[in-house]
Amino acid sequence: MNGYLNQVAAIVWKDFITELKTRELFSSMFIFALLVIIIFVFSVNLSIVGAREIGPGVLWVAFLFAGTIGLNRSFMLEKENGCLQGLLLAPVDRTALYFGKLVSNFVFLLIMEAFILPLFMIFFNIDLLPHLLPLLYVILVGTLGFCAIGTLLSSLSVNLKTRDIMLPILLYPLMVPVVIGSVQMTGQVLSGESLSGMMNWVGLTLCFDIIYIAVSIMTIDFVLEE
Amino acid sequence: MVFCMSEQTHPVSSDPVVKVRDIRKDFGYLRAVEGISFDLNKGEFLTIFGPNGAGKTTLIKILSGLTRPTSGSATVAGFDVLGGSVRLRKEIGVISHATCLYPDLTALENLLFYGKLYGLNDLEDKANKAINEVGLQLRRHDRVRTFSRGMQQRLTIARATLHDPSVLFFDEPFTGLDLQATNVLKDHLHELHTGKRTLIMTTHDMSCGLEMCDRVAIQNKGRFAMLESIDRIDRENFEKLYTETLEL
Repeated sequence: MNGYLNQVAAIVWKDFITELKTRELFSSMFIFALLVIIIFVFSVNLSIVGAREIGPGVLWVAFLFAGTIGLNRSFMLEKENGCLQGLLLAPVDRTALYFGKLVSNFVFLLIMEAFILPLFMIFFNIDLLPHLLPLLYVILVGTLGFCAIGTLLSSLSVNLKTRDIMLPILLYPLMVPVVIGSVQMTGQVLSGESLSGMMNWVGLTLCFDIIYIAVSIMTIDFVLEE
Repeated sequence: MVFCMSEQTHPVSSDPVVKVRDIRKDFGYLRAVEGISFDLNKGEFLTIFGPNGAGKTTLIKILSGLTRPTSGSATVAGFDVLGGSVRLRKEIGVISHATCLYPDLTALENLLFYGKLYGLNDLEDKANKAINEVGLQLRRHDRVRTFSRGMQQRLTIARATLHDPSVLFFDEPFTGLDLQATNVLKDHLHELHTGKRTLIMTTHDMSCGLEMCDRVAIQNKGRFAMLESIDRIDRENFEKLYTETLEL
């Protein structure tokens, strides 16, 4: 068990060292998410459409689109110099590779979201501070679902010539339940509802998180095989 | 290991180290490897020559557990390659034209990363020693991106031998190297051919390939057209033999 966790930790360590040196992943995700929010702010008349009504959808669209860039980039790093082959040749269980990449993607996305939230608050003039804890929970659950299935699909699409197109085509339909759940929960949290009042959405999103992780564990061996 | 699939814990047999029986690999309608069988004992060095598309790389991928054969069987270091065994991967090292090095990590960080994946003890010492052995001690803290192709290939040798594998595969290791880098790599190959390790190399470079090996194979259209001991080969006329064999 320790060996398994050490291997997961090694992959996370390697991704963090690389990102600290290049900052490619964070900067591209952050700028893209920021641009999405700015475009919506200027294209929608917030005095007619309430910020609390449209805000949750905009926030998750920004997270989703920026996260897709991150997922694509994450496995592209493994393709450079044939590093993915190096990982596959190492005595590492394929699920350890999956969990290593999942944790990296999850944390990178959370960091980006932490920077985007204050800007969202300013642009949409919504005070998030009173709802911070339930909102944090919603973001954690939604982001986990996105990364769980996104990591599997990006490992699948990395060997395709059309990977930039294929990842969103495969990912977005599968993400629908988690995105709907996350947007609904975010909207209700911003309206002042507690999490206990939206247990159906909480349950749905958590269920899909578990399903995505279980499917990934079962299929990652075949996905990574050449 | 928590999610590990069924795993061999003991070698299937101890001798020979590499045992290949009637291996075949199809990619759709294309037959990349066909009916290859051979044994390789401990310490032997087999060089496989062949034109592009002969199936040499596919054979190496099958033996290293990266690709499943369509039919046939093979064991390496006593472990069945079909199982994709974690134990098998501990016993092998693969060096190809793809360095498998992360360009934004330093030489030392690359080795530390791979060492962690292999679960090595005294990792920092082993990594530093491996870097010294390939003559990169002054560049250990430099990013791999700044290395020349020859330096990257030397670091690749350090990466692939860090865990002291008993079987080494070299897939076109001289690709893209200049004369000086080729000579340095040849020196390292001589050092690795100690009798303790079993080596298989694919190459187009006849002088390098013949210089070090104990046995020679010529692969063409997926098959071994020839497999001989180096003692039975006329090195002077090997190029002619190679051309004639391919024409058969």
